[in-house]
Amino acid sequence: MPMLEVHEVEAGYGPIRALDRVSLEVQEGELVAIIGANGAGKTTLLMAISGIVPVRSGEVRFRGTPINGLQPHQIVRLGIGHSPEGRRIFPRLTVRENLELGGFTQPNSSQLKRDIDEACGLFPVLGERMGQLGGTLSGGEQQMLALGRALVGRPKLLMLDEPSLGLAPLIVTKIFEVIAGLSSRGIAVVLVEQNAYAALKLATRGYVLETGRVTLTGSGKDLAADVRVQDAYLGE
Amino acid sequence: MLRSVAPLPILHKSQSVSVQFFFQQCLIGLTNGALIALVALGYTMVYGVIGLINFAHGDLIMLGACLALSLVAALGLSMAGPAATWMGIALLVLLCGLFCGTLNVAVDRLVYKPLRTAPKLAPLVSAIGVSFIFMNIGLFWIGSADRSFPELLPSANLLPSDSLQFNWKDLLVVIVVVPLMLGLSLLVRATRLGKAMRAVSQDQTAAALVGIDVDRVIASTFFIGGFLGGAASVIYGLYINTIGFQMGFQNGLYAFTAAVLGGIGSIPGAVLGGMVIGLVRALSSAYVGERWTGAIVFAILIVILVFRPEGLLGRRTREKV
Repeated sequence: MPMLEVHEVEAGYGPIRALDRVSLEVQEGELVAIIGANGAGKTTLLMAISGIVPVRSGEVRFRGTPINGLQPHQIVRLGIGHSPEGRRIFPRLTVRENLELGGFTQPNSSQLKRDIDEACGLFPVLGERMGQLGGTLSGGEQQMLALGRALVGRPKLLMLDEPSLGLAPLIVTKIFEVIAGLSSRGIAVVLVEQNAYAALKLATRGYVLETGRVTLTGSGKDLAADVRVQDAYLGE
Repeated sequence: MLRSVAPLPILHKSQSVSVQFFFQQCLIGLTNGALIALVALGYTMVYGVIGLINFAHGDLIMLGACLALSLVAALGLSMAGPAATWMGIALLVLLCGLFCGTLNVAVDRLVYKPLRTAPKLAPLVSAIGVSFIFMNIGLFWIGSADRSFPELLPSANLLPSDSLQFNWKDLLVVIVVVPLMLGLSLLVRATRLGKAMRAVSQDQTAAALVGIDVDRVIASTFFIGGFLGGAASVIYGLYINTIGFQMGFQNGLYAFTAAVLGGIGSIPGAVLGGMVIGLVRALSSAYVGERWTGAIVFAILIVILVFRPEGLLGRRTREKV
């Protein structure tokens, strides 16, 4: 049984249909990349899985249980973390408060403290900036905070939306290093990326989304080698 | 020599009288301001989490005052001894707080929540509608004439001086408002709910994605704002001693103004704004004349907003991209 199963999902905004019968699977511990052009529906797909955008038809199952129709906070509590596009850290809360909110569902405060320490171990700069307001961090630091906040929530599946967007190459390398290490910690990852090359290099499998439909799927290596993918997304 | 010195003590005396008069007005202003601030908190907190100016808030407090009046009669508080009176007042604050809090949550569920994703004007117009509905309920409850609210507290001065008055009613305002405000600030700063409220006010989607039940946080905010308003309604009755079904409009407007002046969405801003408006009202009534008070308060508001559109303690808003 796959960990996450998206089956023929349709979703959209008003008259716009952003997802057209999208199906995909994520196995336990897998890193799945979703690539596609702007407006292909990648962000909507993650939002639909998280329950922010309602699923109009089709089904989303997590470990066999249907989750579409649940409230977003209920879905988070099942173990599906989501670091949204644009980072969306809380700008007028401190770094510490942002991380604590990442563990909002954690009832055990000493466990929460350990999880925050662990996030600071991954991104030492967060530990140095604990008392600073989130909005005063640089873009790269904010992305680290967003990732750290998501990890403090101890997700079993983590969905990352454009974690490298607009960041300096050195920081992108650091972020991808951490993402690559997540599967060794038993966290399955869904990675939405503009940087298709880097994402496919990391991914066990990938899906190509075009105007709301899945048009190609395969192993990360196969997709990176596919002529159609290279033409469209790898800029060769 | 002596004759030329003689007038001085008299001058001293009149000076000290005018200084004391000034302090007296400030005391009145601050006490009134505390009451305005308590109402302003209800506006600013709801605005902070869902960006709605809840125009029904003033009328909610009017209904709280109606309940307080009914309870005073039902409990026979006018004839109670001092100890029973204070316990009765505590009970009134609690019951009217619970009443207004619950009513506020119910209105949110029934009226504002279905419009959460609608354009901002839709819930705003609905709030004006709720305001009228509340006013009609108040009219039905206590009638169209102003009702006098029983004097439950002795009017003896608590200060040793003759020219500076601070009586039990003034003290009541302080001992109800100060703990409520301290409690609120503690709740917002140090509790799990407070942290969730701050998160929701900054980014609802991000708050939901860390596992916060956004609807519950919004309901809690309506409850707390309503509770503070209910407490304010009891103090209003005991302090001003006249209530009427239209009292919500003007009082609501002053409190809303206080919230905007302080920086809408900011809790300390609402308190500061309330104090400033209370002071300006008292001083302009004393030195310029009662009938100019409204014009002066709003003229000052306009001047401050021209130079600081975000309010005294508000932050400069930047539109999200």
